[in-house]
Amino acid sequence: MPSALLCVKNLSVHFGGLKAVDDVSFELGAGEILGLLGPNGAGKTTCFNAISGVYPPTSGEILYDGRRANGTPPHGMAKLGVGRTFQIVHPFVGLSARENVIVALGGDHYRGALWRSLASWKKRSIADEADEILRTVGLLDMADRRVGQMPIGNLRRVEIARALALRPRLLLLDESFSGLHHSEILHIEGLVRHIRDTGVSVLLIEHNMKVAMALSDRVVVLDHGRKLAEGLPSEVSSNPAVIEAYLGRGGSGNAA
Amino acid sequence: MDYFATVATIIVIQAIAACGLNVIVGYAGQISLGHAAFFGIGAYASAMLTTKAGLTFWQALPISLLISMSLGFLLGLPSLRVREDFLAITTIGINFIVEAVFVYTPFFGGALGLGGIPRVAVFGSRLGNSQFLALCAVFLAITLMICRQFTRTWMGLACFAVRENETAASSMGISPVRAKLSAFVLGTGMAGLSGALYAHYARFISAGDFGFPISISMLSMVVLGGMGTLAGPLLGALIIGVLPEVFRSLMDYRMFLYSMLLLLMIRFQPGGLLGEQSAAAGLLKGILNRRRASSA
Amino acid sequence: MQLFFEQILNGLAIGSIYALITLGLALVYGILRILHVAHAAVYTVGAYVGLAIYSRTSTLLLAVPGSMLSCVLLGIAIERFVYFPLLKYPPYVPLISSIALFLGLEELCRIVAGPELLTFPATLPFPSFSVAGVMVSGTTVTVYAVTIAVLAALWFVTAKTEFGLAMRAASLDMEVASSLGVNSKLVVDATFAIGSAIASLAGILVGIYYNQVYSTMGTMPAYKSLALIVVGGMGSTVGTVLASFLLGLGETLLISFANIPLPRDALAFIAMILVLMWKPTGLLGKR
Repeated sequence: MPSALLCVKNLSVHFGGLKAVDDVSFELGAGEILGLLGPNGAGKTTCFNAISGVYPPTSGEILYDGRRANGTPPHGMAKLGVGRTFQIVHPFVGLSARENVIVALGGDHYRGALWRSLASWKKRSIADEADEILRTVGLLDMADRRVGQMPIGNLRRVEIARALALRPRLLLLDESFSGLHHSEILHIEGLVRHIRDTGVSVLLIEHNMKVAMALSDRVVVLDHGRKLAEGLPSEVSSNPAVIEAYLGRGGSGNAA
Repeated sequence: MDYFATVATIIVIQAIAACGLNVIVGYAGQISLGHAAFFGIGAYASAMLTTKAGLTFWQALPISLLISMSLGFLLGLPSLRVREDFLAITTIGINFIVEAVFVYTPFFGGALGLGGIPRVAVFGSRLGNSQFLALCAVFLAITLMICRQFTRTWMGLACFAVRENETAASSMGISPVRAKLSAFVLGTGMAGLSGALYAHYARFISAGDFGFPISISMLSMVVLGGMGTLAGPLLGALIIGVLPEVFRSLMDYRMFLYSMLLLLMIRFQPGGLLGEQSAAAGLLKGILNRRRASSA
Repeated sequence: MQLFFEQILNGLAIGSIYALITLGLALVYGILRILHVAHAAVYTVGAYVGLAIYSRTSTLLLAVPGSMLSCVLLGIAIERFVYFPLLKYPPYVPLISSIALFLGLEELCRIVAGPELLTFPATLPFPSFSVAGVMVSGTTVTVYAVTIAVLAALWFVTAKTEFGLAMRAASLDMEVASSLGVNSKLVVDATFAIGSAIASLAGILVGIYYNQVYSTMGTMPAYKSLALIVVGGMGSTVGTVLASFLLGLGETLLISFANIPLPRDALAFIAMILVLMWKPTGLLGKR
């Protein structure tokens, strides 16, 4: 697949003796939604952190848009168009929802010439741009509210809005559905499809199998840091090894 | 009048340094316990340039600022690259080392300090006490304006983001080191300005004026007033500056009272007097709103 | 050469004292991630209480346990009333409170005991002797003996007992430890108790070693021990002990044999900054 936006080749991330991710490879095409699944501790978030630049890979390669991205710091990956959310939400609690989004709109101002970083962000046009993104995720009516007091559902949307503000080509969603009500899940499912339809590739970690299987074009299953299976959701959910990996641990896979 | 001017001038000078520390601690969330070192660097730079190189205060000022900001950059860079807990410790170290350099280097006057620092002159006439106070007040106003302006720049916003959550900030395209360093350099520049003014106010300086306890007292101002607020450091400098005058009879217990005040403040009101969720700020807001309502 | 050996013994003694003071800090940092600056005030209080009991009873057999007990209570009180309620705030909040507490306790010692330097004229159970012309004083031997005993006891507790296992689990992750049935509150209390008891011993030892007790005796240890836990690798007890001995030796040898124009107290910080530039995690730190 030469058109792959993200290509993970033999990726390993070790912490001391612990092989959190061990020799994992997969590809993600442009405009594709790929689900990264697996039981707790399978290495999904570590994989995310390696792709988004938080940990340098122990070995293996991460190719983004055909370029080697190993060791690029998180802010460098953001510049390249990789947006992400966090499993444990990381909002800027002291700032309003709009300001949270504006932070991510500043991309070009945070690097390069000093005078650019000294421009003002308090401009009507910038606020409008942020509001447009908040409208997309359905938070426009709460733009002025401090995110510190928001419930988890809104925080997950703030995180998606921030990631969108980077104008990403690749969006990494780390359990963006967890802790949400059914109606919120439906809303965000629609949102993710909409984002994909605008040409953004989406890599998502999801615990809720129903959501993951419905949303993903393809899935990759990890277990104990290794790749267990890869394929269409329907193929993978009937794969005996996958069923074993889930049921063997007390069944978070019952929904599959 | 002279007594008032003397006390008021030192409060204004310290408020400038406290504003600088607030940029580092309040805006960027980086705890610095060595602010007095940069206060001292500004003071020694201006003192040396005016007494030994024969420059005027106005010629020396930009150079002094440049020196304190460059040293802030050089000393901040290794400290800010490591974990946040480390910055507190490395800045303590910087404070002790800088103080030791002033004491042990004959070039800087050694233990005897530097004397004979000229008064500031404007258009050839030397400023009297109250005129110098006015000059310091102007510098304080400029400092406040810069602080306010900084919060409106992208770099200021980047600092807020880093303060709130460094991991998230970096995934939004912000280089945390760059954001912290810019706050650190701006803050040390303000400390340098404050130090330069102090040198020409005291007209005799020695290393002890810039020791670690001074850093603590500056931090107390910021914490007391409210970290990250514009007026907080001002209020803090006012309180810390006025207290010893009020408690003159309790001189022996002064440090004890200070430390207990700081402890109670941070224990029960970590946001400071003007911070959020503060009783005092709530009261003040209430009064202001009522005023506004009644005048409308 | 004789002088050299004497300086080595001297440096090791100073390193031992650094290790005793810093251990408590490393234990507390390991478990709560708080920079417990006020620990040095516990050490000062330990010296004063030890001296007060000793000057009334003339026996260290009462002075040492009395001082240790009061320090343990003080340490636990600090943890319960100051640090524990502040754990939910960013790390600088407990840090500032700790510095304020340190200054306050130091001042309290000065106000209660007076600003003058007190002597600690205790006699020690070890006699002085000399080996090949190198004089070894009884106090130096005591410092070594106490340090070795404390390190051995600490090693035994952390490595060999169930409580030690709970402590290590809690220092890795408090929440996980709690979910595994570790009484984390008890572990934290015990950590403060152990650290404070060792600090009290260090206070008494320093008082006797230099024959002086004064209210600001904790000032330099307070900040130097911060540098030491950074150099050792935050929260690594072995690294901290190693760094303490290296600093004690390095300081003593550099001051007596190299003519450096800096005070000995600045050396710790210079060493710290050099170590951080070379290895940001400290000597034995892990990420």
